[in-house]
Formats: sequence, C-alpha cells, structure tokens
Amino acid sequence: MSTAAAEPESRQAAPVGAPRLALRLLLYLALQALVVVGCLGLAALPTPEPPPRWQLTEAWLEPPGAAVSLPHHHSARFTMADPPRYGLAFDRPAGLPEEPWSVLLPRFTNGVAVAVNGVEILDSRRNPAANRPDRSSPEIAVIPSSLLREGRNELTVRLFVWGPLTGFLDRIHVGPDAMLRPAHDQRVLLFVTLPIVLAAWQSILAVILGMMWLMRRHEPEYGALAASMALGVAQTFISAPSGQSLYAGLNAVLIASAPLESAFAVVFLVLFLGLRLPRAAALLFLPGLIITVTGLLGGPGPVRILYLLLGPFTVMFCLVLAAVLIALVFLRRRDTITLVLGSAVTVVLFFWAFDILSILDVASDRRIFFSRISYSAMVIAVGIGLTWRFARALNQVDSFAGSMVTLVREAEDKLRASLARDEERARAIALSSERSRLMRDLHDGLGGQLVSIVALSERQQAAPIGEAARAALKDLRLVIDAMDDIGGDLMLALGAWRERIAAQLRAHSIALAWRVLTPQGLPVHRELRPGHVIQILRLLDEAVTNAVKHAGAGTITVEIETVAATDGDRGRISVRDDGRGFDAEAGSAAPPLAGRGLANMRQRAERCGGQLAIVSGPEGTRVTLDLPSRFADLDAPRV
Amino acid sequence: MIEVLLVEDDAPTRWRLQDALGATGECAVTAVATVTEARTHLCEAVPRVLLTDLQLPDGHGLDLIRETRQRHPETEIMVISILGDEESVIAAIRQGATGYLLKDAFPTDIAATVRDLVAGHSPISASIARFIVRRTQVQPAAAPAPQGLNTARLTPREIDILWGIAKGFSYADIAGHLGLSRQTVPGHIKNIYRKLEVNTRGEAVFEALQQGLIRL
Repeated sequence: MSTAAAEPESRQAAPVGAPRLALRLLLYLALQALVVVGCLGLAALPTPEPPPRWQLTEAWLEPPGAAVSLPHHHSARFTMADPPRYGLAFDRPAGLPEEPWSVLLPRFTNGVAVAVNGVEILDSRRNPAANRPDRSSPEIAVIPSSLLREGRNELTVRLFVWGPLTGFLDRIHVGPDAMLRPAHDQRVLLFVTLPIVLAAWQSILAVILGMMWLMRRHEPEYGALAASMALGVAQTFISAPSGQSLYAGLNAVLIASAPLESAFAVVFLVLFLGLRLPRAAALLFLPGLIITVTGLLGGPGPVRILYLLLGPFTVMFCLVLAAVLIALVFLRRRDTITLVLGSAVTVVLFFWAFDILSILDVASDRRIFFSRISYSAMVIAVGIGLTWRFARALNQVDSFAGSMVTLVREAEDKLRASLARDEERARAIALSSERSRLMRDLHDGLGGQLVSIVALSERQQAAPIGEAARAALKDLRLVIDAMDDIGGDLMLALGAWRERIAAQLRAHSIALAWRVLTPQGLPVHRELRPGHVIQILRLLDEAVTNAVKHAGAGTITVEIETVAATDGDRGRISVRDDGRGFDAEAGSAAPPLAGRGLANMRQRAERCGGQLAIVSGPEGTRVTLDLPSRFADLDAPRV
Repeated sequence: MIEVLLVEDDAPTRWRLQDALGATGECAVTAVATVTEARTHLCEAVPRVLLTDLQLPDGHGLDLIRETRQRHPETEIMVISILGDEESVIAAIRQGATGYLLKDAFPTDIAATVRDLVAGHSPISASIARFIVRRTQVQPAAAPAPQGLNTARLTPREIDILWGIAKGFSYADIAGHLGLSRQTVPGHIKNIYRKLEVNTRGEAVFEALQQGLIRL
C-alpha cells in the first residue's frame, strides 16, 4: 500500500499548529462519540420476542430450593455433575384448538435439558451451535401432545454450565408453536445464520487476500488480514468440544482464537496505515500463543479459564491500540479511509465493551453478544475495500499496459519509419558521394578537355567540332544532374534542365516559354530514380533539339501540369514549337532525322512507364509526355 | 569600364573568356594563368570583378577568393566552373564569391553575367539553389550540416525563393508567388550568398578541410 501511504505523506508536510491539531482531535472524537451513540441505539433495539402472554418468569430453583425470577444469572461456572434445576409451571387453557405447543428458550448458557411433566423433550448439548456460549443461540422444542395436559403442566429445566461464563437462563416461553416459532426463527437468523454467512464471506476474502499475499510478498498486510480472517472463519465453523481429547483441545484453541485474530488485525492496520511495525508488536501475539499452547497441552478446560483471564483483555487492548493508532494517523493525514477505519474500530470496540459488561452481568440482562458479528462485518468491509482498491490498481495497470502497448507500437512505427529513412538517407549519401567522385573526375579530366575543344574550335572557326564538344558537355551535366538526390520531385530536375535549354535556345535566338500550369507542377514520386530522370530529360532534350534543328521555330513552349487520372494524379510535360511540323505517321514525308529521334523518344517513355504522344501539323509540333502514376523499376527484367 | 581580373590556366579557355568579355567593349580584362600572377596584379590594382578558376597550377582558386574578399570587399568575385556543379560553386560562395560562370557559356551570356553581377544581380543556377535548400531541410539536430553549409541564417522567404529557382520558376513567377517585386529577387540572392559565407579564415579552412573541399 505504498502508494496510499505516499500520497498522504505529502499532505503531512504542511506543519499543523497545536490549536488546529486539538481542534482536529476534538472533531475526530466527536465523530466517534456519534458512532458510539449509534451503536447504543442499535444495542437498545429489542431482540425478537414472542408475545408476552406466553412468557414464564417465575421459577423454583433447586438447589438451593428458592423461588427465582427469570432471567436468572447462576453464579456457578461448572455444573456438569449436578446441574441446578429450574421448576416452572404453565397452564394450557381448556378449549383451545388442537395445535402443537412448544417450549422456547431464547437464551441460556451453556446448555439446557428441558422436561415437560417429567419427560425430557430437549437437550441443547446435542446442538453444536447452541453449545457455543459466544453465540446467542435460541432453542425451541415441540411438546409432544401426549405429554401436554389441560390445565397445569410442569416444566423442568436443568442448566449445564461448563465455563468459561457463569450460568444464565433467560425467560422461557411456552405456548402454541405458531406463536413462538417466528421469534425463534428470527433469532436463529440473527445469531446463528448471520455469523455463518459472514464467516463464509470471510473465508472467501481470506482466500483472495491470501492469494494476493502469496503473489505480492512485499505487501504483508494482505497476509496479516488473511490470517485474521482465516482464524475468524475457523472460529465460526468449529463446533464446541466435549471431552478431553487433543481434538477437543484444538477446537477449544480455535474457539479462543480471538486474541490471535485481533493481534493479526492490529498488524494489518499498522502496515495498512504505512506505519513502521516495531519488534514489540510480536508481544501482541503472546496471549494468543499462551492460550494455544495451553489448549494443546491441557485440553478445553484450562483453555476456557485462561481465555477468560487473557482473551477479552487482549482483544480489548488490541482494539484500543488500533483506535489510538488510527486516531493519531488521522490527525496527521486527515484522509477518509483512516476516518472510516477509525469509526469501524470504534463500533467493534463499543460492542466488545458491551459484551464484556454483559458477561460481568453489569450492563445487559440478556447476555446477547454482538462483538463477533460487528467484528466480522468490519473485517469484511475492510476486505471488500482492499479488494476494490486492488481491482482499481489492476485497472490502472491495465490502462497503463494499454497505453504502454500504444506507446510501444508508436515507437515501433517511428523506429521503422526512421529505419526506412536511414536506409533512404544512406542510399542518398552513397549516391551523392559517388556523384561527387564522378563530378571531380569529370571536372579534372573530360570536362576541362571538352571546354578546351569548345574554345579552340570557336577560335579556329570549326563550329561543328565546337557544337559536338558543347553537346558532350551538356550531356555530362545532364548525367551528373540526374544523379542528384531530388527526393522524387521531378520539378527539381526540370529546373536545372530549363537553364540548360534556355542557354541553348538563346544561342539559336529561339524564345523559351516555360509554363507551370498547376501550382505544384508535377506530383512527387518517391520511387523516382536517377535512371528515370535521365530518360525523361534526354527525351525532352531530344524534343527540344528536334524543334531547334528541323522546325525552324521562333518559340518553344514547355508546359508542365498535373492531371487527374483514375489511378491518381499523373504528371504531364509537353514541348511545343511553332515551326513547320512534320507528318509523324506517314514515314515518307518525315525528315530524315526525325524517324530515329522519335523512335528513341518512344523507347525512353516506355522504359519509364510513360506515354508519348506526338502531334504535328502546319502550326507546329507538340510532344506530350504523360508520366506514369508509378515509375517502373528500371532494374527489373522487362517483359 | 569594368576592370576584370581573369585567372584561368587553360589557355584556350582563357582566350575564349577574354574575347567574350572584351567583345562588348564594356570590360577591361587582365588575364593571368596562376595564383602568383593574380596576387601580384591584385597588389597593383584592385579590379571591379575577379573571375577565377579553382584548380590552378600553383594554388587553389579558393585561397584567392578568400584573400580578395578580405582585402578588397568591394570586388565582386565569380568562380569559373566547368560543370557549374555545387561542390565547386558552393565552396567558392562560402569563401566570398557571389556568382559563377560556366566555361562553355555562350559569349553573350558571359558578358551579360558579369554586367549583371556588377549591377548587383548575382546569378544562381537551379542546381545550386537545390543544393542549398536541401541543406536547409536537414534537421537542426543533425548539425553541422553535411557539407558544412550553414543555412540557419536564411529567412523563410529566402528559402522560398531558392525553392522557386530550384524548380525552374522564373524570377517573375517567384516574385508573383511571394508577392515581391521582380527586381528585388536578384538582391535576395546576393543576400543569400552573403549569409552562406564563412566568417573567419580559420573556420573556413577548417570546414573546407573537413568537408574535403580543399585537397592539400
């Protein structure tokens, strides 16, 4: 519960003045007082009673042979050898309808044997639940009709007491079964069934908390609470022993397990509140262990005596300790969970005190014990709270795990993208360095020589040589330019191409009209490779060269646009001249160079996956290159 | 008259450039073939324009560019390049050049380029612009930039202009897109060159060495 402890810790940091502390303590105590008042109200609620008409209060007790009135406290702690006899008399009025009559004994300790008109009809010692002095089990017995006389009947109750409590016999009811049974059933529900139900809950929670502790050893508070609950469960389901066997001793130990239970509960509380558990806490277990050892060695009798001496006060001490600890923690932290825990401890403390007073015959004349029920209820509440909290933590873990999965997936995607990027970058770097090397080599060698040829040929009026050298230089630039990483944007390659043909056309006094018809020019193709670029630029070069050489054009217009197609956007580049034109279809009229040039251009377009359309007429020639929506892989074998 | 100092070791190319510049009658050209000759000339007279090749028999054109830039800030410097490739042109720009000239450019273009440069209009090619803008795309975390090119000082507008040039748009198109006057675009380009220049000699040499731009 480290997270729970850490959060209030920060609140604690703010210094709290003494007056405020006192005020807070006062408030806390006031709230606990309210809780006590509530408990008093609960304790004062009437227990289920049959109609008073069937109630018997006058009895003749033997020994000593004196009239007593019920409820009666018998001072003896052990009467097994010679149980006291309560003689009572009741009338069955004549003329009542034939219906079964019963005897109801709402509360007694420890056992009763009931006889009607001298015939025994009930011995509670055969009912294990009734033998538990800590349970307020009622007993009911139907009087066989043959025993029942009209008018006065005699009822004899022998009271067996075997400690640790003194004897007690509450008012007895005799009357029609239908009148008595509802009250009996309600008492069974309240004092027998309810503890079992609670114990069943406790057992489930004990298992859950035990599993949690097994899986999370670093949170021993789960283990402590599970142990406390397990003991409580055992305590509920173990039947009261008779005799002096080891089994009987074990049973007695389990029934007297409350001190151990409460010690575990205190340990749980200390850990739960995030306090340090001192070594001295082990002393809390001492009384419980003494009782256990006594039980194992000495059997049920000594256990009962020892339990009476140690048990209630150990439990009381544990409860007070718990209450004080919680109150102190609350003063420091002021959180709701502590407040709820404190109130719960107050409830248990109240009923425990109430029960002790009842045992000492100080408070109640009913001898009905509530502490076990209140305690079970509290422990269950704590267990539910813990489980709820644990489930909530699990949910947080789930959502954390979920977000982790998302994060990991995002990171993975990023990594993949970055890997792809790195690969792309590595490829670009390799290309760029290769290009640099090539460029240097060409610059130092071939390029310089070509320039010299151009210069020399100009000087010696050898124009064709110069032109050839210039063309070679141009092609050199084209090759190098095509190798540049343009990131799939053909516009970047066309930008440099424009400069080259502009210079070329300027020399021939031909105007260049460069028109980009769509704002972004051409679509970007990631798969565009230097090979494609070279093919396209050479194709365009050829178109321009044809226009320069054969068309006699005044203006060459280059148009660039993106057209929408069924399979996405496609780029379109067209080269148009205003020259003579030629007949592309009929071979006969074609100028000699055009045929070969056109076939070349077609081939280049095809290799890129593009389509070439050439229209020629008297008003000029138009070469239109439709780029593919996706460039074909040049290295792939061609079909 | 525009005084031009031309440093080119290849004789035919030197003659060609000299002829092209002299043909219009606007330029007074002094042509030399080595770094030493160029330095001697620079001590005597300060040219308006320096045109230099990079690979010279007795030294590297980049040294000449840097020295001239430091001693004669008024002199416009152009690098003569065979291929107009980014490596040589960018290296020259980083030392203080504000333009480049292709060795096989047509004579009229050669003269026009020098004239424009003197008028404050630095030429830039699409491939140079592409090279610079691609450097601006490298994430800041990956700095220093691969080619040691510091593009951090470029404004978004300047980068937009470079993109336009790289994609082949004309100055008029770019000016239209960006809401500029057509005449201001070349000025922006000169600013871009100035921002790409390395500031100290030590820094320049170190970076150039690191990037392999200078071969010792």
